[in-house]
Order: sequence, then C-alpha cells, then structure tokens
Amino acid sequence: MNGRDNSAPVKDTLWHRRGFWAAIWLAGTLVLIGVLGWDAWPWLSGSPEAAFRDTKLNEWPVEVIWWLLAPGILWLQSSLTRLDRHWPWAVGLHSLMAVFITGLFIILQACRMLVANHLPASFLPVLLNDLRWMGGWSYLPALVYVTLILALYAAGYYREWRAGLRLTGVLQLANAQLETRLVRASLDALKMQLHPHFLFNTLNSITSLIRNGRTQEAEEIVAGLGELLRRSLEHRQEAKETLEHELEFLHHYLEIESIRFQDRLEVEFDIAPQCRPALVPSLMLQPLVENAMKHGISKDPAARRLRIAAARDGTRLILTVYNDGPALPKDDAAMSRGIGVQNTITRLGMLYGDTARLWLRDQPPHGVRAEIIIPFETNPL
Amino acid sequence: MTTTSRAHWWLGLALLAACGGMAAVFQSPRRALAAMPRPAEDRNVLRIAYTQYLVPDPHRRSFPMSPQNQFTLSLWEPLVECDPATGQPLPAAAQSWAWSADGLTLTLKLRPDARWSNGDLVTAQDFVRGWRRLLRQPMELAQNLFPLRNAEACYRGQLSDPSEMGVKAVDDLTLRLELDRPRSTMVAELADPLFAPLHQDSEQVIAEASYFAHPERLVTNGPFQLERAGDNGYRLKASAHYHGHEQVRLAGASFVRAGGAWSATLMLAAGVVDVVSPTPWEEVDMPTRRPVRRETELVLGVSTIGFNVTRGPLRDVRVRQALALALDRSGPIGRFNPGRMIPAWSWVPDMPGRKGLVLLKEDADEARRLLAEAGYPSGRGLPVLHMALPLWMKSDPYPPVWAERWFRELGVRTHLIYEPVAESAKRMTAAGDYDLLYGTIVATVPDAGDLMSGFLWSGEYSETKWVDPEVIGLLAGANTKTGAERLALLEKAERRIIANVPAVPVMFERRQSMLADEVQGWYEDPLARQSLKRLWLAQGPAPSLSPERDL
Repeated sequence: MNGRDNSAPVKDTLWHRRGFWAAIWLAGTLVLIGVLGWDAWPWLSGSPEAAFRDTKLNEWPVEVIWWLLAPGILWLQSSLTRLDRHWPWAVGLHSLMAVFITGLFIILQACRMLVANHLPASFLPVLLNDLRWMGGWSYLPALVYVTLILALYAAGYYREWRAGLRLTGVLQLANAQLETRLVRASLDALKMQLHPHFLFNTLNSITSLIRNGRTQEAEEIVAGLGELLRRSLEHRQEAKETLEHELEFLHHYLEIESIRFQDRLEVEFDIAPQCRPALVPSLMLQPLVENAMKHGISKDPAARRLRIAAARDGTRLILTVYNDGPALPKDDAAMSRGIGVQNTITRLGMLYGDTARLWLRDQPPHGVRAEIIIPFETNPL
Repeated sequence: MTTTSRAHWWLGLALLAACGGMAAVFQSPRRALAAMPRPAEDRNVLRIAYTQYLVPDPHRRSFPMSPQNQFTLSLWEPLVECDPATGQPLPAAAQSWAWSADGLTLTLKLRPDARWSNGDLVTAQDFVRGWRRLLRQPMELAQNLFPLRNAEACYRGQLSDPSEMGVKAVDDLTLRLELDRPRSTMVAELADPLFAPLHQDSEQVIAEASYFAHPERLVTNGPFQLERAGDNGYRLKASAHYHGHEQVRLAGASFVRAGGAWSATLMLAAGVVDVVSPTPWEEVDMPTRRPVRRETELVLGVSTIGFNVTRGPLRDVRVRQALALALDRSGPIGRFNPGRMIPAWSWVPDMPGRKGLVLLKEDADEARRLLAEAGYPSGRGLPVLHMALPLWMKSDPYPPVWAERWFRELGVRTHLIYEPVAESAKRMTAAGDYDLLYGTIVATVPDAGDLMSGFLWSGEYSETKWVDPEVIGLLAGANTKTGAERLALLEKAERRIIANVPAVPVMFERRQSMLADEVQGWYEDPLARQSLKRLWLAQGPAPSLSPERDL
C-alpha cells in the first residue's frame, strides 16, 4: 500500500466545497434582498400610506444581520481555529467581534426607531444615549455570538476527534501490514539460513560419494537436489504451505538422504487424510527430519527408522518426526543450539505466538521424537 | 497555519476602529439639535402622536386615551359635548333637549344645519343606526347603552328586534330616548364618542377598511374628514360641510403613529409632531431647542383595593377598616410615580364643579386596635388573603408594597395571584374566589355619580359583592336630581361607602401632555376629550373668536 492509500480519504463531496456554500449564501442573500425590496417597495417609493414600521426591513433585522454576518463569522472562526499557538489572537478577535456585533445591533435598533418615527439622522446619538438609560441596550447578540463560536469550536474539535479516530484505525492497519511484511522478511531470512545449511550438508554428502567412487549415486543426489531447490524457490514467497506440498518436498529430500544412507533408511509416513490440506509453515518439517538424520540415525548404525506422522486433535494439528537413533544428549543446551530447531522455534513463535509448541524428547525404549503442535488451518475456499 | 495572517491584523484593526467609533457615538453627549422645520403641507395642520391602536371607527376602542378621543371626535360629532370647566353638557349635533316629567324620556332636537362630509343631512335615524351597531359590540362597549330601555335585553338576546331598544327617530331631526329609570347624567353621557351617529354608507366602509384606499368614502359628521389613511397614521382635513366650519381654525390634523411614549417625545422635540399625550413623567432632557410646554390634568378615575365582603374575616367591617387604615399611600407614590399619582382621601377626585372631599386617614395604631377588636390581634387567626390580579399587572409595583405594609403593620399575610386575564376574570366573576382586588375605575361622564355607579349594581355584578340599600337609594335618588341636590345626595353616598369600606381608594392619577408652544387653545379635560376644533396653531390664521365660544 502506498502513502496515499494509508491516508484518510480526501473529502471532496458537494457539502465540503466552500464554493457550494458561498453560492447558497449568495442565492439566499439575493432572495432576501428581493423579498425585502418587494415588501418595502411602497415605503421605498415614498407612498404616504406605507410605513417603515410594518416592513420586513423593520421586522427582520436580527435575522438579516446574522445572515449577512454568517460568512465572516465562519471564516473568522475557521481561520482562528488554526492559530493553535496564537490563542490570544482568537480570544482578542472574537471579543472584538462580539463587541462589534452588539454595537451593530444597538445601532440598528436606534436606526429602526429613527426611521419608524420619522426622526432626522442627527437624532441617532440621542436615540443611542436614551436607549441606554431606558435599558434598550441589548447584550443578547454578544451572548449569541459567544455561544455560536463555542458551538463551532466544539463541533470542530468533535470533527477532529472523529478524524483522529479514523486516522488511528488507518495507522493500526498500516502497522499490522508492516508487521506482516516484517515477519515475512524474517521468514525469508530464516529460510535463506536453511538453504545454505541443507546445501552444505548435501554437498558434503555428494563430495563423500564422489570420493568413494559412487558417482552414479552422486548424480542422483545432484538431480534430486536440483528438484528440491526448484520447489524451494517456488515456495519462497509463501509463509505457509499445505502439508501435502511439504510432504512432497520432504519426499525429494529423503530421496537424497536415502542415497546417502544406502537402503539403511526406512521411512514411514502416517498422515491422516484430513491433515493433508492443512496449512503448515513452509520448510518446517525438513529441519526436523534433517536433525533426526544427523543426530539420530547417522549416529547409530542400528538405527534405521524414520517415522513422520500428522494427526488432527480438534483445532490442533500434531506433527511428529520420530527416529530410532540414540537418546538425546544430557546437554540440552547443545541440542537447543541447533540451527534447525532454533529457527523452527522462532518461526513458530512469529506465526502462531503462544498457540504453537515444539517438543523434542526421548521415545523409550529407543529413539527421539519431535512433536509440533500448531493451530489447524486450511486455505479459505 | 500557525501564525497570524495579514488578514487578521487588518481585521483586528478594523474591528478596533469600528468599536472605537461606536463607543464615540454612544458616549457623545446629547446636544441641542436643530428641530426640523414644519413642512409646507403641514403649515396649519396639528400633528398629534399616538402609540396605541387607532382606527376610524367610533364604536371600537381599547382604553380611551387622548389621541383616540380626539381622533374620533374630530371625525364624528355626538349629540352633545361636555363643558370642560363645569362638566355640563353643551349642544353639539343636537341643538336642544328636554326631559319628560317622569324623567324617563329624553327628546333631543338635532341641528337643521348639521351635515355629513358628503353634504347629506345628519338625521336622527343616523344616530339610531350608529347605536344599534354599538349594541352589537362587546359588552364593555355596548353596556354604555344599557340605561336605555330594553337595551340590555336586546344585547343578551332576550329581545331579537333591535327596534325594541329605547331609541327612536321621531322625524329627521328629533331623537327620542326612553330609559328604564331616571338618570340625570344621561345627557352628559351622550358626549361619549361611542354615541356617534353612522352614515348609511359608512358601515360597510368601516367593516371593509376600504377607507385606506378611498378615504373620501368614509362619511363623517365631525369638524374634520378623513383625507388619508395609512400605516403611518391618518390625515384629516377640515370638513367644508361641518356646521361650524367657519370657526374651525386648523386646516387639518395629522395623527402620526409613534413607537412608544418616549419616541413620541423625541418626535415632538424633532418637530415631527406638535402634541404628545400622555407623556412619560420622567424628566426628559429635550435634545432640541424647540419650545414645548407641559400641561397636566387630573384623570377622572380612582384606583382602589376592593374587598370581597362575602368571605371570611372580610365580612367584618373592622377588618376592612383596619386594612384601609394601615395603608401608606404617599411613600410608595413618592418612590414609583411622583407627580403622576396622588394619594386618594376620598372616592371621587376633584372634578369640574365639585371639589374632592377628605374622608380617609392613615392610622396604623387604630388599624391594629380594630384588628385586635375583631379577634385578630397582630393578624393571628386571620387566614392568608388572596389578591386576584391579571398577569399584565405584574409590573405594577403597588400591590406587593401594600401586601408588605399589611404584614409589617398588622401581621396580615397576603398572597398575590397573577393570572391571565381570562382566568382572573373567571376567578372574580364566576367563582368569586378572591379576598382582595386592585383596579382603576375611570369615569366616562364628568360626574361624581359615575365613579360610584358600581354600587348601584346588584351583588351579581359587583366585584366587592357589597350591596347596601341605603347607598343604592341615595344614588338612585341622585339620578333624579340635578345641581346641588344631586351633589348632596352623592356626598352622602360617598361618605357611607367610605365608612363601610367595601373598597378603599388609594390613588388618583394625573395625565401629562407635552405641546409645542405654537399649539394654542389647549384646555384641561378630565375625560381627555380635547376637541381639535377649539385648537389652533400660533403661526396659523389669527383666531377670530375665543376658544370658549360655543362652536
């Protein structure tokens, strides 16, 4: 996912275009002017029967003024909201605006009285003055303005909070995806560790066969190795594979190993049919089998049995690799330092967390058994 | 963006400048401004400001304020008008009248030269038409006709034929009124603008308000006729057909709508109007040098606290007397309405031809003694008194002050119940669920008996429920008399009312008008019915006769 994909979707609907609202306001203003002009026309045209007092101009001043001031108020509030480090500006300008609007309404009230009562314009200061001692100075507009601004701020913060929640969700998703990629990269790196390990052993075997003049077997191993690497490369991009695929891979591997062990190796597969489509970490069984060959069968000339089993236990898949070689050494630490086992434990932890287990234990009277328990998963249809 | 933009700097500066400019305008001192010169078209036109509902319909009114009376009486002339100095009726549309021997029939002769504004003769039938229309108006207006025989029965639907009402057009110039019982104030009552005649063409014009488009269609018989009607007010011009046209000195009158009493005062200062009545009593610093003067007159009315004499302790006259004696009139008046309100020491104020009496006193000690004598020492045992008040009186400062006074002086608790008018009226009329009432009675006739006429009603109509045969006898007797005999009977009735305290008078009111100095001929009228035909403007034509001369 690229950077654009990670961000919240850009809002470009009609409701979020300033031009749309500007057009609405302009249209409303034109309609208002039309209605007011039409209603007041007899008075404006000087008809002696018409009175300003009965016009909408006189009756709607509050509504008209708030409508006309609305864009300015919204702009001021919007622009001051972004002055996050300059709140004194916001407080100062909003206070000034509140005072200005209150004064405007008082002057408007005086002007209405002036016109309605046929008084000359020179009486405006008189009206303003007298309105004050008569209690006609209404401070309600300031209260309305402050309430409006607080409501707008509250709405803005609420929107930001909601946007923050959305952003958090997006970030969490991106984080999870990033984590997945990291896990995948780690798996790839581990698999890259497996391949050289296996190659090193196999090449050692081939070298030994050639030295011993067993060139025909060496050729078969090389051919098998080639097939093994091809399949390995095919699977590199996947963290998990079906058990079926894993077993095929294991077959190729064991073909190589059986050449090395010259028919001494008896391999037994006990795979429950319902387990074949189950998903398992790719190249997970191979290191265990390799361990069984290296530390078990190859150490004891009498040892020859290798048993690979898969069974389902409810929601769990149980994989076991058994060899009848010598028991585990007393030094567990030496065993645990094996690259193959360590890598397998790490991979299981990455893929399944605490729900996966790996045991390596003696199987009396002879042999060692490795057991892996992972969640039973299949590919979704 | 984390820094301020240039736009914010400019906006801040602009707002600062605007706010500074506003502050400068707001704080600027009142200066002596120039008044506007009188427009040429108003050269001899008296301009009167009005603030209340004004409509060219003689049979509709809210509260009879000066402009409404002046407006209606300019357009319509009733049968008589009252002499503002004596209160006695003077001829107007009627040139003479005569009572029958039993005092139940009044015959009025109309002027033969009385004309409508379209030149038609003003006939007795026009008055009958107008009064029948008045009978179809709401109770508070129609009840002015109830002294006429069958008028109340017609109003209540007990009689379906309005011709049964006691008003008949004997011929074109003779009108006969028949009364249920003698009523010596009946002639003076006919001066009320409600008793105006109605031209046959005008009823529809008024109903449809077509006078706005065609003012000439409103045919009237007064000294002026409608010239223009609009939302700003009305303009009248002198009627050429008025019988006293030669004596009318104004070319016209303009009734200009004002936003309120204070606005009207400023309009006077600015030269927009010439008369404002009534005006606020607060001292107004006039912003112009236009010469104006104040005129005051006593309102013919009285504010009272009534007692429901049929309930609980208020049945005892000593309790009522105690409440009346404990009142403090001057203190609250001095705080709330100095100059405008006057302490009332009698039921009837000073009025034309009759000086007010001093029948009341304030004595808290005597009040406590009487209350204790009645069995309620320091108010103990006295239930809470309920005072019923309409909601619009909540701003009236007096009831809470009196309630506090009664509690402090007598230990009497009062619960003020403010309710919508309809609820309050229901409580007072149907339910009778109240102890105290507060209200103002305003006379429609310059006569002491009119203010006491409430005590003539039966208990059903009386808010105090107080029915006293002796007072009824005195008032009924006064209605058969005139002059000094009538005044003597009214004084006896007033003294008895005060002694029994069904209600206690608390305040009288004065009305103040402000006039431009050029307005001449203004006179005191307790009923606020100054007739514009008696006024003129100083720069207008020189008066040819004194304002007292019979017009």
